[in-house]
Amino acid sequence: MSELLTLLNYEFARNALMAAVLASVLAGTVGTFVVVKRLVFIAGGISHAAFAGLGFCYWLGVEPLVGAVVVAVLAALLLGWLGEHRARSQDALIGVLWAGGMATGIVFIHLTPGYAPNLMTYLFGDILTVTRGDVVLLALLTVGVVAVMALFYRTLVAVAFDETFAAVQGTPVKWMTTLLLVLVALSVIMLIQVVGIILLIALFTIPPMIALMLAQRFLMVLVVAVLAGLVTSTGGLAGSYWLDLPSGPAIVLFGIAVLVLVRVGTVLRESRLLRDRERA
Amino acid sequence: MSVTADAGTVLEVRGLTFGYEREAVLQDVDLRIGRRDFLAIIGPNGGGKTTLLRLILGLETPWRGMVRWPTGIRPGDIGFVPQFSTFDKNFPLRLRDTVLMGRLGRGGLLGRYGKADHRAVDAILERLHLSQRAASPIADLSGGQLQRALIARALVGEPRILLLDEPTASVDAETRQVLGQVLEELNRDIPVVVVTHDITAFASQVRQIACVNRQLYYHGSGQLSHADLAEAYGCPVELIAHGVPHRVLHDHSEDAVGS
Repeated sequence: MSELLTLLNYEFARNALMAAVLASVLAGTVGTFVVVKRLVFIAGGISHAAFAGLGFCYWLGVEPLVGAVVVAVLAALLLGWLGEHRARSQDALIGVLWAGGMATGIVFIHLTPGYAPNLMTYLFGDILTVTRGDVVLLALLTVGVVAVMALFYRTLVAVAFDETFAAVQGTPVKWMTTLLLVLVALSVIMLIQVVGIILLIALFTIPPMIALMLAQRFLMVLVVAVLAGLVTSTGGLAGSYWLDLPSGPAIVLFGIAVLVLVRVGTVLRESRLLRDRERA
Repeated sequence: MSVTADAGTVLEVRGLTFGYEREAVLQDVDLRIGRRDFLAIIGPNGGGKTTLLRLILGLETPWRGMVRWPTGIRPGDIGFVPQFSTFDKNFPLRLRDTVLMGRLGRGGLLGRYGKADHRAVDAILERLHLSQRAASPIADLSGGQLQRALIARALVGEPRILLLDEPTASVDAETRQVLGQVLEELNRDIPVVVVTHDITAFASQVRQIACVNRQLYYHGSGQLSHADLAEAYGCPVELIAHGVPHRVLHDHSEDAVGS
């Protein structure tokens, strides 16, 4: 443990920890909406589409994350505009965005002269390469996304729970869903840095799933999901250090281990409660 | 039936035609709901009952025709009780939080729930015998309790019209009784529209019956006796009604439309 704490004397380790904390906040809050509203594959489509913008900017020689943001937000707007009422075309479009984004990104990186060592970083994430500038950017992004979510909180929850009822009350359901997808797109950019495009869906799903097993009120689910994200990302980072594993996969696998443990715990508790009730 | 709006008309539907695919689910539907009406919309499955409700609620755009609210009812003024299938029962909400959402129409997109909202929730929970379960997660509620919670959610916004979609499907006797009482009380002030396949559930409250099967067969108003009820079941559908012998009723003829 003390060995880990001395690590914090290094700036790269401090940056990594800060990125993990910020990512947990976004993954826990935005991820909970993604899980309850069943947007997991839409989030996957958006993140893989983002790779097109990433590759394009890499080829241009500009900051790749800028391209990723632009394409992710455009993909979110497109999917939101298409809407769920045309469910079949939306589902198919997710597939096209998913593979098309990856293909475009790979082509641009292929066209870029020289070796592309960063490619793997974007695909699988490398939190240890996060710079101080990245952390500032990520902090601003987190504050922005959480602020928007807090502003629209009551409407977002109502739309997530019962779209039809919210619509009857005069809520612009389609706009709110699109807003949520844009928040997803912005969070995706952040999670790309931590666990990479391919694994980021894990951070959107594992902490909220843990929280949904433990908490019964929506606000509490959000709080527990953020905490679960913190445990997952810091625990995974520590594990990657000890076992000398790549950080992204270590975070995901540690998260799944926590998820399974919590599930076993809740099942045991429920069966004990049931037994006590039968005895009473 | 007169389609010209008189002073008591709250909702007017004229020449409504709509379908999801190429074929029309509803054809030239006319309907008028007055201030103290208690209308039951009945009809066979797939006949367009729920679709008519969705058009009235503004959830679908009609191909032709229109829905008008002559007294200026706006979305926030409509109390709506959906079927269970429109939401996820395992959603992390307490009963109270669910009912609170009925105040969503007030205060706009950026609104917050305030003290008045919470007081309104307390009052309505009391009225629907739900106060004891206020803190329970909705996943733990019985079918009847959940149904009453949805009705509480519809009423807490002080609606000027109440529309219910199959409110008696999968509920217990206590809920049916409470429901009947509450709807009867409400109907002293606002119109109530119930989409149902089980008219007997509200036999003593219903004043008008409309049968929807692609077209709307309106069966007029006035106090209904059981005999009238039997007469009103003009739908080509088999029905078992309380106090009415079980029989298969004859098909509609066009001249039976309107009254």
